[in-house]
Amino acid sequence: MAGPALSLSDCRVLIVDDNEFNRKSLALVIRRAGITDIAFAENGREGLAAVDRFRPDLVLLDVDMPVMNGWEMCEALRRNSTHEELPVLFQTALDSDEEQVRCFEAGGSDFISKPIKPGECVARVRHQLEKRKLFGDLAAFRERVQRELSHARAMQTSLLPENRRLAEVADRYGLTLDAHFETSSELGGDFWGLYPLGDRRLGLLMVDFAGHGITAAINTFRLHTLIDRFPMQHMAPSQWLAQLNAALKDVLPTGQFATAFFGILDLAIDTLTFAAAGSPNPVLGTPPATRGNAPDIRLLDSAGLVLGASRRAQYVDQSHRLPRGGFLFLYSDALIECGGDECGPLGQEAVPNFVRDGLARDRQHPLRPMMDSFYARTSLPLRDDLTAVWVARRA
Amino acid sequence: MDFKTTNTGDATDVRLTGRLEFTDHDKIPDIVELLDQMAGNGRRRLVIDMSALEFIDSAGLGMLLILQEEAESREIKMIVSGPAGDVRRSIELARLSEIITIEP
Repeated sequence: MAGPALSLSDCRVLIVDDNEFNRKSLALVIRRAGITDIAFAENGREGLAAVDRFRPDLVLLDVDMPVMNGWEMCEALRRNSTHEELPVLFQTALDSDEEQVRCFEAGGSDFISKPIKPGECVARVRHQLEKRKLFGDLAAFRERVQRELSHARAMQTSLLPENRRLAEVADRYGLTLDAHFETSSELGGDFWGLYPLGDRRLGLLMVDFAGHGITAAINTFRLHTLIDRFPMQHMAPSQWLAQLNAALKDVLPTGQFATAFFGILDLAIDTLTFAAAGSPNPVLGTPPATRGNAPDIRLLDSAGLVLGASRRAQYVDQSHRLPRGGFLFLYSDALIECGGDECGPLGQEAVPNFVRDGLARDRQHPLRPMMDSFYARTSLPLRDDLTAVWVARRA
Repeated sequence: MDFKTTNTGDATDVRLTGRLEFTDHDKIPDIVELLDQMAGNGRRRLVIDMSALEFIDSAGLGMLLILQEEAESREIKMIVSGPAGDVRRSIELARLSEIITIEP
């Protein structure tokens, strides 16, 4: 085994044997290997009590004993979840195949044959103790990583608008705002935000860093610090994206990039102006010319060089009418690229109908039925992060 | 994703099949090694044949950007050839043609 040999001096071993001579000679053998913390029991029942009292790291267990034999004791140990992983080494004079198999069936980790050979005995004890320590270390490591990931996830969630904030902004601008955010692993590369720019204008940003997991999440934190550096107030969306692109190009290694949508909704002139950098096509809905007809729903062109790939990237502004009763639906690529066993992924072209179905089920808040139908067709856990934002102007 | 390599004249052709996505990141070193061999043999053109590729995700697009830079630093011209369907659509949406030479 790689690495320095494990010191056995802080390991505790319980010896269960009805024969005093055997107990003493086993203790002598393992004491020579450096194990000094040793307890004894004379049968299975005493052994079980000693396990609870002494908390050994390993049990050396005789098979044939009065009151309760070694197999019965081991089976009882394995029924108790606390001792499921406790190494149990049977010492047995029974050298038939069947008897030895019985030791494993009872839950034994390994066995040593009697008469005890000191070298073999110490080697097997050491092997079991090292394995136990490795498992322990791994479990502790895993637990620590999970704890840290869940802290990081809370931090990441705190970058996104809270429900209370959504409600505030919605009321201020006369909107319906609903959002859904789910990462594929504990952390993700999606980000979105709302930026009030005075009483009549609202900035909307959605960014998706390539990949997912920790690397992508770190990039969302980078992005968050960059956003505050570039005021949006007196700038066209295309200029703002170009600034963000240059800043990201400076910090992102080659191969990491982000897709983005940045738009400004101007309520005074009923207009959405946006620039995009390769985000999935947003859906724009405008109320029908004739009352009672279905709204006009279409995909917007969002092609554009992804952020952070080239310093020379330039972006283009587009303006679209977004009057009262109209809506904008933004989403990350997981919505159209993640599928299930029975249905393939939704695909870009199907999104307008997907929105129509959502509206048919809930005219005011279609995001929930849309998410329900997405999750109904998609295998979990998601392969990529999913963000979906519904912005509608109240009629 | 799987890839198959053929050499013709001064070009190396890498034909990709399957899906190029997040989990393929560990295959980049293999292709970079190929670039080293090309540089050693005096081959100057790397053609990434995508006509049989079914799907590419954002991580896959990122890999193309990495390969482009690796090729450039060895003075090898990288050409992405024949992307179709969803793959072509993803490449166009991200406007990679501003950085990478893409042939139909």
